[in-house]
Amino acid sequence: MELFLYTALFSPLVGSLFAALFSMSAKTKWAGIVPSILLGVSLTSSTILLFFVLGTNSTLHVEMMTWMETGGLYIPFGFVVDQVSVTMMMVVTLVSTVVHVYAIGYMDHDKGFNRFFAWLSAFVFSMMILVMSDNFAGLFIGWEGVGLCSWGLIGFWYQKESATWAANEAFIMNRIADLGMLIGIFLIYWNTGSLQYDIVFPAMATLDTTTLVWIGIFLFIGAMGKSAQFPLHTWLADAMEGPTPVSALIHAATMVTAGVYLVVRSNELYALIPNVGLFIASLGAFVAIFAATMALVNRDIKRVIAYSTLSQLGYMFAAAGLGAYWVALFHLMAHAFFKALLFLGAGNVMHAMDSELDPFKMGGLGKGMKWTMIMMTLASVALAGIFPLAGFFSKDLILEAAFVDHHLIIYGVLLLTAGLTAFYSFRIIALIFHGKDRHTALGFHPHEAYKFMLIAMSPLLLLAIISGFLFKGGFFEMVTTLLPATEYHIHDHLTYWIMTIGTQVFVIASIFYAYKKYMSPDIKVPDGTSAMEQSFKYKLLINQYYIPHFYAEYLVKPYRELSTIFWEKIDMKVVDATVDGIANAFYTTAEQTRGMQSGNLSTMLKWMVAGLIGLLSLAVVFGLAARHSDSIVIMLSGLGV
Amino acid sequence: MEIGLNHYLVLSTILFSIGLVGVMRRKNLLMLFFATEILLNSVNIAFAAISHYYGDLTGQMFAFFVIAIAASEVAVGLGLLIVWHKRYNNIDLDYLNTMKG
Amino acid sequence: MLDHILSILIFFPALAGVLGFVVHKDSMRAYGIAVSIIEFALSLWLWFAFDNGVSGMQFMEQLPLIPAFGVNYILGVDGISLFIIILAAFFTMIGIASLTDTKDVKNMIVTLLFLQMTMVGVFAALDAMVFYVFWELSLVPMLYIIGAWGGEKRIYASIKFFLYTFAGSLVMLVGVLFMAYFYYQATGQWSFAILDWYRLILPESFQLWLFAAFFLGFAIKVPMFPFHTWLPYAHGQAPTIGSVILAAILLKMGTYAFIRFSLPLFPDASTFFMIPIAVLAIIMIIYTAMVAYAQKDVKQVVAYSSISHMGVIILGTFALNVEGISGSVFLMIGHGVVAGALFLLVGVIYDRRHTKLMSEFGGLASVMPKYATIFGIMMMASVGLPLTINFVGEFLSLLGFYQQSHILTLLAGVAIIVGAIYMLTAYKKMFFGKVTKEENKHLPDVNKRELIALIPLVMITIWLGIYPKVLLGPISNSVESIVQLMHDKAVSHEAKIRIPNLSEGVEIITISQQGGH
Repeated sequence: MELFLYTALFSPLVGSLFAALFSMSAKTKWAGIVPSILLGVSLTSSTILLFFVLGTNSTLHVEMMTWMETGGLYIPFGFVVDQVSVTMMMVVTLVSTVVHVYAIGYMDHDKGFNRFFAWLSAFVFSMMILVMSDNFAGLFIGWEGVGLCSWGLIGFWYQKESATWAANEAFIMNRIADLGMLIGIFLIYWNTGSLQYDIVFPAMATLDTTTLVWIGIFLFIGAMGKSAQFPLHTWLADAMEGPTPVSALIHAATMVTAGVYLVVRSNELYALIPNVGLFIASLGAFVAIFAATMALVNRDIKRVIAYSTLSQLGYMFAAAGLGAYWVALFHLMAHAFFKALLFLGAGNVMHAMDSELDPFKMGGLGKGMKWTMIMMTLASVALAGIFPLAGFFSKDLILEAAFVDHHLIIYGVLLLTAGLTAFYSFRIIALIFHGKDRHTALGFHPHEAYKFMLIAMSPLLLLAIISGFLFKGGFFEMVTTLLPATEYHIHDHLTYWIMTIGTQVFVIASIFYAYKKYMSPDIKVPDGTSAMEQSFKYKLLINQYYIPHFYAEYLVKPYRELSTIFWEKIDMKVVDATVDGIANAFYTTAEQTRGMQSGNLSTMLKWMVAGLIGLLSLAVVFGLAARHSDSIVIMLSGLGV
Repeated sequence: MEIGLNHYLVLSTILFSIGLVGVMRRKNLLMLFFATEILLNSVNIAFAAISHYYGDLTGQMFAFFVIAIAASEVAVGLGLLIVWHKRYNNIDLDYLNTMKG
Repeated sequence: MLDHILSILIFFPALAGVLGFVVHKDSMRAYGIAVSIIEFALSLWLWFAFDNGVSGMQFMEQLPLIPAFGVNYILGVDGISLFIIILAAFFTMIGIASLTDTKDVKNMIVTLLFLQMTMVGVFAALDAMVFYVFWELSLVPMLYIIGAWGGEKRIYASIKFFLYTFAGSLVMLVGVLFMAYFYYQATGQWSFAILDWYRLILPESFQLWLFAAFFLGFAIKVPMFPFHTWLPYAHGQAPTIGSVILAAILLKMGTYAFIRFSLPLFPDASTFFMIPIAVLAIIMIIYTAMVAYAQKDVKQVVAYSSISHMGVIILGTFALNVEGISGSVFLMIGHGVVAGALFLLVGVIYDRRHTKLMSEFGGLASVMPKYATIFGIMMMASVGLPLTINFVGEFLSLLGFYQQSHILTLLAGVAIIVGAIYMLTAYKKMFFGKVTKEENKHLPDVNKRELIALIPLVMITIWLGIYPKVLLGPISNSVESIVQLMHDKAVSHEAKIRIPNLSEGVEIITISQQGGH
């Protein structure tokens, strides 16, 4: 089995290095095909491992080699395949394989084709390290690795100012969170003496609560960055500057869920500190509705989907925070499938529309792009949580968990968000595929994507439909060997049915409202004049609550100004000037006293005499002082010195 | 009144002061040499007197040394002075400023 | 030969440098490369022969110089100095190999060989007087490199470099003399041997003064805030090779001396000054990182980033535990490799465009993809990405200091944020965007000679990032003995608590002391 573990882990790396070999030469198909095949290998190995874990109900733990060893610290490159990590491995390799194949078509005309696959496969490798590592340091390797690849892929089209800016923003914001994570790791090390999961978590029980709370908070700060939770969320929407397959893989299905994975992985820690868990859940619920509101008005399909990702991450954190770790993981999995599908569909639309992203400029695309329409619609249905698609099972469970635990505010917020989700998802579906044709007038000639891209997407479609009702039971069985097996059942049947059906009705009503509102023939490309666009609400939402503006104005700008002040005013004018001042003091003294050296013998003799007198008087003073030293001491002590 | 050590020392001091003032005030190089001689001889008087007072001949020996050195110094000095006078036709100190820093 | 390998390592380049005067100008480069390769091979041999299991000094040599005052020519290496010596040999080799069309190439190579002698001498010396002599001698070739091959303000920069560091060293010399005098008073014998001094336990009040005297000399060399302003001038004016050696090796002399002298000689004073120095280090980290962000000249960005990283090294050193000190020693190597490579990379673009202003570039990623890739790897190493060499050092340094102070480590950890800010911004300015300047459109990518210098650095960066154990093993071995020594010597209660007691370290100490005689 170890062989399969290493194959699963390292074949993306091999693929990445293979593509990197060609990264500076002209486009070759092989740079895309070989990494895709290798990912297929990785997927197969992961599947074998999954069946191994399922079949034997045991876990696989290997230690490849030592990484760091000094003092009491020992960190190996160790990997573990257990129920949780194998789930993540399956999600990661599956979505990656699909996205790789899809990207061969999507990036077809791009000059950086080879480079793209090098980065993309490197990302998969980092992600595999992240989920498979058996210690926090290894997790941190993957954590930073995915950050690096995300940087490279968001800024993939590096000629674009906005893309590189977004890449740097994402990296730096993640770094802020990584500091929190690092501090969490330090705390763990100094309190438990190790970073291995299997040593750390059992040791947690003996620590005092304050320490645990701090560890929990710092680790969660790390998770907040990667999973783009408020207030570190702005990078995710800007990250949509990257190519769409990247958005599908990194910024929807895998990397952003790393934070959720971390919380799930540390469940034994968070179980000991329910207050922090409640905070996580509350923040999750807040982010869910916060992001959903921003998605309501946005006029960029990728950003809408990005906000919906953010919102769904909020759901996952809400579940994880409430202790429903397996539910969070389940939603993570289901979400990965339908959200990646949604993004890839959006990629098809972008391709057809020459990278136009404003859905108001589309309309009626359903005629030419039937398959894309079907896929995106089904993905949106899954996202909205309609029976029997994947989202229903996972999302409904989160709602139930909140309800059963009597966190009614969280429940209410999440319920409301479910309605909003349905509305904005179908708002863009309606705008893109239905209604009047608005794009021909603008000079677009849409066409359906390559067949193999659609075929590549089909596994995701299948999973988005069936993964809910097919896997729920088995998944629960599997992961609860590791995670707390809390079942969330509302014991009162009547309440259960009212709740479930009520939710469904509410969501379906939202969908119909969205269709009705945005399919009407008098939808025009907004020009900023309508009353709605003038309203404060709209402005607040379209400007993302002015948070990016706030960051730019009150964090980035002062930082830049302060840096300039530090350099020009303090470093040059104070610190360096002091040094030069001391040096100059010598120079000026010398310059001024050289006048003494007039060369005139008479003057020199006068100086000589003055010096003689000075020395003689000093001699007299010291002589007297030495003779009368006793009485001087008495006098001084009398003065109180 | 017997002439004691103090009288000699006072004389020496007076001569030294005269020499010192001369060294400081005189602009003529020749006069400067005279002033230096006065300085040296004032010291010689002090040496001789103290030597006599302690009954130790070292001081008087030292005075001879000083006289000898002073003589050679004046010889060299006067030689330079004459060369200088021949070249520049004056021996005013204010013109001797090639050592300006 | 192995008995005298350290002397050979020190004086072989010097001798070769003297002979270099008679070598013909055209064959000088080949001669220089040959000499530096032999030197590097010798240093590798030293590593090969080095016994990883021994924590004390190895390859000791002793020769009386002034027996009356206990000045002896004593050499030796342990895990701490070994790798810096190898690094010095390595960078001299890389530097000579990558020399571009420098005028007076003969004098340059001779100067570099002399510089190499002083560098190896500093790290191998175990006698304070010998150490001091090499320490001061190292200024001369550097002064010459900056002053003769530098930019417009080279005279100002070189004199500033010389006088500033020299002034600090003089205070250190006073400290050295006092230390020897105290040793004389305590034992009745003069000795400047560091290993003898290790056994001397001083009262805390003496330690504080001596620590301060040594500190000034070391801090200016590092350079620590607020003594850092000579460095940007020196880097700004120095030719590429000068900056590379300066950043990679010469700065490490300061941090190395902290570990060799300050910590084991003055454990109580080190504990006493730990917090103030950590605060200085944090100011250094954040402040210079912000200053780096404001720079317009890419070389200055790298120069200020050096200062910022040195702050982390200082912090790790004053963690006073094995994790932190090992980390800081490792970061010395790591920063040497990465900063050296970055200066080489800046040199590459300077050779082509004769400017270092970032506003003159933009979009270079499409014109010079190989250059952009290597620069990118080195930038990420500088930012401290895991699996690169710098991460190991930074992680361990911060981890170590966390034991001493939580809040200060949190502040120092801001390094990873501010570091990313200035580096990514600089990279974006230079490599991303569209090519706007006509001159940049047809720049040639890195050539073979440059690749010969850069590829090994890239490989080391990643190799040691993935497998730091080869270095970390011997380093932490020697560090453990130093920490144990400090714990045993500590007088004050505070120091006894702060400096951990490694139970298994007692035995190691006796070995290291036997090695000293």
